This record gives sequence, C-alpha cells and structure tokens, in this order.
Amino acid sequence: MDFLIASLHAAVAMILALDPEVVHAVWASLFTSGISIMLAAVLGIPAGACLGLNRFTGRRAALTLLNTLMALPTVVVGLVVYGFLSRQGPLGAWGLLFTPAAMIIGQTVLATPIVANYTVAAVAGADPRIMSTALTLGAGRLLGTWQLLLEVRFGVMAAIVAGFGRVIAEVGVAMMLGGNIRNYTRTMTTAIALETSKGEFAFGLALGIVLLTVALVINLFLNLLQQK
Amino acid sequence: MDPLLTLKEIIFHRNDFTLQIERLELRQGEIYLVHGPNGSGKSTLLHLLALLLTPSGGEICYNGVPVQGAQERQRLRRQITLVEQSPFLFNASVYQNLAFGLRLRDVRGDLQRRRITQALQAVGLEDFENRRAKELSGGETRRVALARAMVLRPQLLLLDEPTAGLDSESLPVFERCLSTLPDQGTTVVIASHDADQQRRLGGTSLYLDRGQLVPATAAPLSQWKENA
Repeated sequence: MDFLIASLHAAVAMILALDPEVVHAVWASLFTSGISIMLAAVLGIPAGACLGLNRFTGRRAALTLLNTLMALPTVVVGLVVYGFLSRQGPLGAWGLLFTPAAMIIGQTVLATPIVANYTVAAVAGADPRIMSTALTLGAGRLLGTWQLLLEVRFGVMAAIVAGFGRVIAEVGVAMMLGGNIRNYTRTMTTAIALETSKGEFAFGLALGIVLLTVALVINLFLNLLQQK
Repeated sequence: MDPLLTLKEIIFHRNDFTLQIERLELRQGEIYLVHGPNGSGKSTLLHLLALLLTPSGGEICYNGVPVQGAQERQRLRRQITLVEQSPFLFNASVYQNLAFGLRLRDVRGDLQRRRITQALQAVGLEDFENRRAKELSGGETRRVALARAMVLRPQLLLLDEPTAGLDSESLPVFERCLSTLPDQGTTVVIASHDADQQRRLGGTSLYLDRGQLVPATAAPLSQWKENA
C-alpha cells in the first residue's frame, strides 16, 4: 500500500511540475487524436448521413460492416495500416511509418466507423419532417441534409466525442505505427505501457491520471450532449 | 393564359392506395379548398402539387410547361411552398426560421429584415423574432409556419389542414392572412375538413373520395360534414 501511495504522490508531483516527458506525451496524444478525429468527422459524418437517409440495395450489408468495424481491435488496424506503410508496402515510399502521420492514419481508420455509426443513429432518429420542410422551402437534397445535421447537431457532436474517446485511449495503433519514439511519437498510452514495464510506475501513474481526467471530461461532455 | 399548375392523367401509387386525377387546373390568384374524408388522398395531392412526390404516370405542367427532371423540380419548388398539417420549425429563433428560405433566394440584409417583419406582423406575431421556435405554442407554431411560407411570396401556397385545432384567437388571424394572398397573385390550395371554410374564404371546392376527384355536385355539403 505504501508503494501505491508513494507512487501517487510522485505522480501528482510530476503533473504539477509539468514534467517535460509527461507534457510531451500528453501533447502527442492530443495532437494525433485531435487531427484523426477531425479527419474521421469529415469522412464519417457524410457517410453516416448517406446511410441514415437513403434506402438502397446493400444498405443493410453496409450497416453490418460498419458495426463490425466499430469493434475492430486496434492491433488489427495497426497491423493492416503497417502493411500498407512498411517499406515493402504499397505506400512504403512515403516514409510515414513510425511518424505521427502514420498514427493519425491508423486512428482515423479506427474512429471513422464510430463517427459514421453514431451519425446513422442520429440521422435515422431525426424528425422526418426536417427534410421535407427544407425541401419545400427551396433547399436541394444536399442543403436539406446539412439542415438535418444541424438539427441533430448534439447527436453528431456525441459521435465526434465518442470517436475521440476511442482513439485517445487506444494503444495498438500508436505502438505499431508510431513506434513509441521518445519525444516524437510517444503518447500517453504507449508511455504508460513502456514505463510501467521498466518499473517507472509513478511516471505511468501520472500519465494514467491525465488520461483518466481526459476520459472523465469526455464522458461528462457526452452526458451533457445526451441530455440536450 | 395557361393555368399556373395543371395535373393531367396523374396516377400515384403508395402501398394499397392509388391517387388518380384525370385533370386538375389551378389558376393564378385563386383559392382552392380540397375536402374529403381521412385517407382520401388530400395530403398526397398536396405533396404532388408541391413537387415533393413524383407520380408514376401522367404529367404535371407549370405555366403550361411539363415539369421534368430533378433539377427542374427543385427550381420550381422555389415558387411553391407547402405548410404541413403539423409544421416543423427548425431548432432556432423565429427570425432564423423565416430567413431560411429567403437566404436560399438570396434575399439578405435590410430587405430580408423588412420582409420578415411584415410577415410576422401579418400573422400577429410581430414581437416574436427572437423567440426560440421550440418554445412556441401549437397555434403560434402554425402562425410562424404560415409566416415562413408567406415571406417567400410563393406563386403557389399549399396548406394541409391549416386550421385544425387552432384556438379561437389564431383562427381569424390565420384566415384573414389567407384571404389577402390571392390579391397578391398567390394561388392557395387548402386541404381541409372544415366545410364552412369555403363560406369564410370563398374559392373553389374540390372533393376527393378514395383517391379520385369527384364533381362538387356529387359531394354535397352534408356529406363533407359527415366525413369530417
């Protein structure tokens, strides 16, 4: 017990002293997750709106695929993207492996199905009069869809927040595609895994506290949106 | 002079219901009241006139020209506005609701503000500009929906059961507004269960029975009242 209390003290001291390694790992996590959730929103929201609003052959299969992709293990995403970005892979010439860009690609793959799926739910549950009202006031289908997304904006924001929660807490993609390089691609999660295995429990705990705080803020935000 | 809108040999199927209109001409600046029992096709007819539904057979002509293609339908929808039986207001202020269609028609700035003020005055809600749409009562919602349609100055205004359930304060305001529209060149089509509405508003009565227009002489006033 003394060990845990001492480690907790050391961890809090590191956070309060803004330990450079802790700060960099937090920054790397927020940066890669932030960019990847933006890309996932750009891809996932239109895809979700399209699937939620239209009835076409293959829609059910697309929804099943989306649900499956939501539960995709992070190491599998890491493995597949690694295959593409490695030296022998089709995109190997870009030299992206073990860079933040590779992590962003992997995390975007991870977050897009989540954002799309939540958007499908938000759009499918929207009042059917929204689209017909927009159309009868002179909007086209595209503008009507935009108006509908504005009406279900809290659901769409929940989609983004849920996707962000998934990518900031994942280890597999960051480890396999980022390589856990100190002060470069080391994120909170990969640092926790490494430092704890090295016996630096207090350092891991400090990052764990920050990660928990981020998760708490995300969940509070999500709850707030769901009550709207 | 060509009628504003002509339906020729229109057939529309949905599930077990078929709407069949041999010929219907709507002339500019006139009021038409569509009566008929529940399920007779009044709302479907309004949606066809609003170009929101595409008939499976027949032809719709606008100012004598057949309406063809999605783009043409969208262009003409800017001349036609439908107010649904249970109108939907966007989750924004009353002003923003009225500005939606005007922005699409590139009416901005002072002109936009003037027209919105006039439209709200016409429905007796001059102080409602900044009120949230979701906070309005049922009667106020309908009056805002009418103002939102009127502000666009459409050539054809379609109203689905506009006065059903209106309170005693809103009904005369609503009908006073409607009676001024033909003088401004607007053709008004009202689907209604209220057999006395023609006495109050004037205009031509149409009677729908099981998806077909029947001659007014074949559907006496007593029958409307029975069916209403």
